[in-house]
Amino acid sequence: MARSMESFEGVALTTPVTIGYERTSSHSAHWFAGKALARLIEAAGIVKADVDGLAMSSFTLQPDTAVAMTAYLGLSPRWLEHVPMGGASGVVTLRRAARAIQAGDAEIVACIAADTNQPGAFKDLVADFSSFSRDAVYPYGAAGPNAVFAMITRCYMDQFGITREDFGRLCVAQRQNALANPHALLRKPMTLDDYLKARPVAEPLHLLDCVMPCAGAEAFLVMSTDRAKSLGLPHATVKSVVERHNAFPDDPVPTRGGWAMERERLYEQAGLGPKDMDFVETYDDYPVIALMQLEDLGFCKKGEGAAFLRETDLTVGGDLPHNTCGGQLSAGQAGAAGGYLGLVEAIRQLTGQAAGVAVDGARFGLVSGYGMVIYDRCLCTGAAILGRGEA
Amino acid sequence: MTDKALPPAFRTALWRHVTEGAREGELRFQTCLQCGQVQYPPREVCGRCLADDLEWRPVEGMAKVLSKTRLHASLEPWFRDRLPVEVALVQLDEGPVAYVFAEQGVDVGNRVRVSARLDEADVAVLWASPR
Ligand SMILES: [Zn+2]
Repeated sequence: MARSMESFEGVALTTPVTIGYERTSSHSAHWFAGKALARLIEAAGIVKADVDGLAMSSFTLQPDTAVAMTAYLGLSPRWLEHVPMGGASGVVTLRRAARAIQAGDAEIVACIAADTNQPGAFKDLVADFSSFSRDAVYPYGAAGPNAVFAMITRCYMDQFGITREDFGRLCVAQRQNALANPHALLRKPMTLDDYLKARPVAEPLHLLDCVMPCAGAEAFLVMSTDRAKSLGLPHATVKSVVERHNAFPDDPVPTRGGWAMERERLYEQAGLGPKDMDFVETYDDYPVIALMQLEDLGFCKKGEGAAFLRETDLTVGGDLPHNTCGGQLSAGQAGAAGGYLGLVEAIRQLTGQAAGVAVDGARFGLVSGYGMVIYDRCLCTGAAILGRGEA
Repeated sequence: MTDKALPPAFRTALWRHVTEGAREGELRFQTCLQCGQVQYPPREVCGRCLADDLEWRPVEGMAKVLSKTRLHASLEPWFRDRLPVEVALVQLDEGPVAYVFAEQGVDVGNRVRVSARLDEADVAVLWASPR
């Protein structure tokens, strides 16, 4: 038996920040990162020199990385991380930054995911996303991730008897959650009928199964609970974090992800189970992936997703509040910031700063991430359990 | 119609082996001479045993269809002029999983034959035909 993970005690997550969203922007990703950092500093009541750690995630910083951003933003950090893990960036960054705080390698880490969306740029990103994609995915219709997730969705539907109506229930609940979120780009109420009648994009995926690419930033600070208390900042605590990359590589079609490998470790370290979660934020690039996380993280059994979606109210105030700000399916997908969205929302919910509807009395929340479709699936998975910090 | 559009031709340097095979009427995949693993997409080392002793060998192309989609949108003008486009996900008998264009009559669960064909940009693409 491997040595168990050290606890994340003493680590605080503070100052959830969202910049944007905009459908397209003439600004660079750097601008969004700069706005996010300024907002973090203002919200925490600190000065820029207090930030001695920086973690960045972005798809549109090229030719720059986190390294260039230190000069661009005028920072001299003693801890620096670039996390190019797309939809898993938030959870993975949280894990890295928390350890840096515990080790004393940094005192205040600014975690920022920022992306712009300039006309035509999405095609360039997709066309050369990976070596495997260049040779063996993009030439087959140039549909980007839609084609990959259409394959997974079709397989899931065939194998587990899930229907479009079932996925529609999940999407409709998320839109309901988005209605009060001022950051969400899609805030028009959606009915199941709207979902079912949307135009086909990559069958069985239709328009309302797909996220809308956009520009924006998400950010938070990681520091010690002592520092958060001395700054008077409401904060979330870290109960457990796991990650797993390239899980189950021999599954010909991925109907499970790294969460299924790491679930036990996640709950064991937290000393909590799925039933203790007051809300869940999954990575929802497509509804099938959100459902896969709910199954693999133990909210229902694998293959029982259809019944689960028929019986469970996923809105805030329902049985299991899920993607409480509407998720990417309603907010839009601001590149790597999409991989921060659920985490930043969880910090909001646990610090009494909900942008939309608050989950009443939330004490624990689970956030999961999924990123980087290199060939036929995303390779990076992660999950974190957060708690409400004591003032 | 977009007159000058061609299929996307951008590939890694390794893809020329697949294109050469297509020119000679063969479907060629990498076989590891150390462990026997047949791998796809192409790499410069074996994903199982890490040897770089890889040979491009013809395979028969028999495969099972795992999934399928009909595309109604594309980022490339070439495909936009030809929508809807049918693409299948297949597993070759040798093990690898590949995205392929699906001929009419190819459906999930079918046994199919996969071949490499030259497209209008003179680059190999994989196709599945009903057996
Ligand atoms: Zn080998």
